[in-house]
Amino acid sequence: MAMRQTPLTCSGHTRPVVDLAFSDITPYGYFLISACKDGKPMLRQGDTGDWIGTFLGHKGAVWGATLNRDATKAATAAADFTAKVWDAVSGDELITLAHKHIVKSVNFTEDSNYLLTGGQDKLLRIYDLSKPEAEPQVVSGHTSGIKKALWSSDDKQILSADDKTLRLWDRNTMTEVKAINVAMSVSSMEYVPEGEILVVTYGRTIAFHSAETLEQIKSFEAPATVNSASLHPEKEFIVAGGEDFKLYKYDYNTGEELESYKGHFGPIHCVRFSPDGELYASGSEDGTLRLWQTTVGKTYGLWKCVVPGKNFVYIFGKTLLHHNLSKSYTTNSQLKVRPARVTSFL
Amino acid sequence: MGGSQGPRHLCPALVIRLPRGPDGTSRGFDPNSPRYQALSPVSISTAGCGNEASLEREQQGRVALRERYLRSLFAMVGRTIHFTMYERVNVSAFFDASDIDILNFQVSDLQTPLGVHREALLRCSDIISYTFEL
Repeated sequence: MAMRQTPLTCSGHTRPVVDLAFSDITPYGYFLISACKDGKPMLRQGDTGDWIGTFLGHKGAVWGATLNRDATKAATAAADFTAKVWDAVSGDELITLAHKHIVKSVNFTEDSNYLLTGGQDKLLRIYDLSKPEAEPQVVSGHTSGIKKALWSSDDKQILSADDKTLRLWDRNTMTEVKAINVAMSVSSMEYVPEGEILVVTYGRTIAFHSAETLEQIKSFEAPATVNSASLHPEKEFIVAGGEDFKLYKYDYNTGEELESYKGHFGPIHCVRFSPDGELYASGSEDGTLRLWQTTVGKTYGLWKCVVPGKNFVYIFGKTLLHHNLSKSYTTNSQLKVRPARVTSFL
Repeated sequence: MGGSQGPRHLCPALVIRLPRGPDGTSRGFDPNSPRYQALSPVSISTAGCGNEASLEREQQGRVALRERYLRSLFAMVGRTIHFTMYERVNVSAFFDASDIDILNFQVSDLQTPLGVHREALLRCSDIISYTFEL
């Protein structure tokens, strides 16, 4: 019996969610950080969406948020002209890095020792986190505000995107290696180390570029303006979301649209696959994050697979009772009563 | 293939509960969670590097400092304490008690620019320093 997607809604933010990032898989599971215009980024357990804590300290909208690999540190970029580094276990603010304009993007190196920032002042900055008072290395060259800046190629290179260009920089020489023009304003960028793939969205286009040469590999067109896209870890799927409030899932190899979901009440600003590829998270103008299953109906996190025909009785409304009344489940959606067969299945 | 699902023919995937949201009272990061217990940084990291004897000495030093601090809290009870807090706030109050984690101080007759609060709770993370006369 085919199952209908039941997204899990994570509430708590009071304004649009504009960025989100997952950590790698740690001995305590994996984690999700969300950046919000309410200035209070939140940390959640990645597979359930359970709130763990809120990072308090920014005095303006938080535009970018990231976690280091083992989720022990978090970094945020905000409209208060600062980037902050946080202890992601205790929630304490560790370092505040003052900038000259709105900061949009933050990214840790693999060893968490350096932080890359980029923002409206058009400069890339590299901070040595063991010497936070020291001046950062500054890389100039962008001619419009930087939207996203990411480490690539084992932290030997930097990828950055502004309104109209994608640029590749060498970390040691701090010089630009390559730049390409993009047809429309870049809305998002994701770097996939295995395969050195860069996922970029602009207009209605979801494009895939080589992270080493910036050459375009392929692209798909979505039905509406896309704000963010993410590639599945096994490179089977792409998920994307944008201005029509819907989430789309495509086959990465063929470009075929496989699924689409309504659910958000506003444009989707960010979409990311979890590190194990079992779910993807979306952040929206409506102030919520939603978690969606990659394989609908599978038992994972808070989702439970139920074998049809055996155990359940429908009750009207949202409650489902096990046949011996030992358990009950609730769903987000209205279930229909089946009067003809009392012991009918899902 | 592809396109949206029609709601009529498919059964909804079940969830065992909804994700838990913020509790509204604290900023979270539960100190009782296994991850916190395992990873949380100690406030003063150890200076000794593996040498048994120096570690033991350091631990004894920590014990002595901790005991002195706890005794100082006893000495504070009933006295007027002057607190220096963030945002150039200076207040004074009678000290009543501290909670077990030294996260909050219970005080009475808290003198503030807005008036006197008969009973109040001061958040320790808001306090920079405090002084009192013995």
